[in-house]
Amino acid sequence: MQETALAPPHEAYDTHGTATGVTNAKLAMWLFLSSECLLFGAFISAYLLYKGRTHGVKASQVFDIPFTSTTSFILLMSSLTMVLALAAIQRGDHRRFRVWIVATALFGLTFIGGQVYEFTNFFREHHLSLHTNLLGSTFFVLTGLHGVHVTAGIIWLLSLFGLSTQGRLSTADSEKVEIAGLYWHFVDVVWIVIFTVVYLVPK
Amino acid sequence: MTERHTPAGDAEVVPGGLEFAPGEEPEHLGDVPPQALPMLPGEVRPHPTPFQYVMVGVVLVVLTALEVTVSYLTGDIPNGLILLMLLVFMVTKFALVAAWFMHLKTDRPIFRRMFAVGIVAAIVLYGVVLSTLHVWQHHA
Repeated sequence: MQETALAPPHEAYDTHGTATGVTNAKLAMWLFLSSECLLFGAFISAYLLYKGRTHGVKASQVFDIPFTSTTSFILLMSSLTMVLALAAIQRGDHRRFRVWIVATALFGLTFIGGQVYEFTNFFREHHLSLHTNLLGSTFFVLTGLHGVHVTAGIIWLLSLFGLSTQGRLSTADSEKVEIAGLYWHFVDVVWIVIFTVVYLVPK
Repeated sequence: MTERHTPAGDAEVVPGGLEFAPGEEPEHLGDVPPQALPMLPGEVRPHPTPFQYVMVGVVLVVLTALEVTVSYLTGDIPNGLILLMLLVFMVTKFALVAAWFMHLKTDRPIFRRMFAVGIVAAIVLYGVVLSTLHVWQHHA
């Protein structure tokens, strides 16, 4: 039987009596994400600084916009499946939670696969590497750093899936999923910026 | 209250969740009203429904398609206009994900402020650095 009455906020969660009324874990994640804005901002700025000042291979010669648009779409969809996973575990539907969390990890893996293909293509077809010119240096460091973040996120999601299959992730642990989700969505919003600034803005 | 299933298949009651009898889980995404979900720490209002999440996802897809289309108009319309439209699409997509998927719309303002500090600090800091290095004149 479905119960529609709400449990009072925080009844199931221990906020350790923090002054903010929220758990330290969630607060720490937001603090971390806030600092990440400055980290990615530095690498995006470095790319902008050297954009158009490079010799040799130019960005417009190497980028495959339809391909990158597809991988961007996949990463956007992974954010959708992530929130659906959170909604599923909040309502105690563990089967659907596992489906959505695996879908999110698979979307992330597809994105990383696309990035590996793109990097390989740039190197083989256009001889663009980290050492070729300033475009290569700033592009590979920026997108590579983002790729590392996505990879860490995939490992996190798969560990949640593993915990769930072992019955060690209950509805009361929804906040753990939400925190992982915050990280995943942040990786997505960073890509929204990178996709526009690096790939789409006219040269 | 809700059920937690142990590896052995037994069910135990977990506070803060909903109770769905076996086989009575909602079939459709929109069947679960937002007020039916237990609230997480830091939530002021209930999270959006799965249906609302899907709608936001659709909007994001449409915006991305428009973004890519606009990028192909180079030469047909001024680059300044293309840049402006791309920035508007980018900021809109960023705001949609942050507000709906990261729940800044429904969570306590402290999270919003904390994130805003990071974003504003990055924009101001790197804006000053790039301006000092005359990046904007170079791209103009």
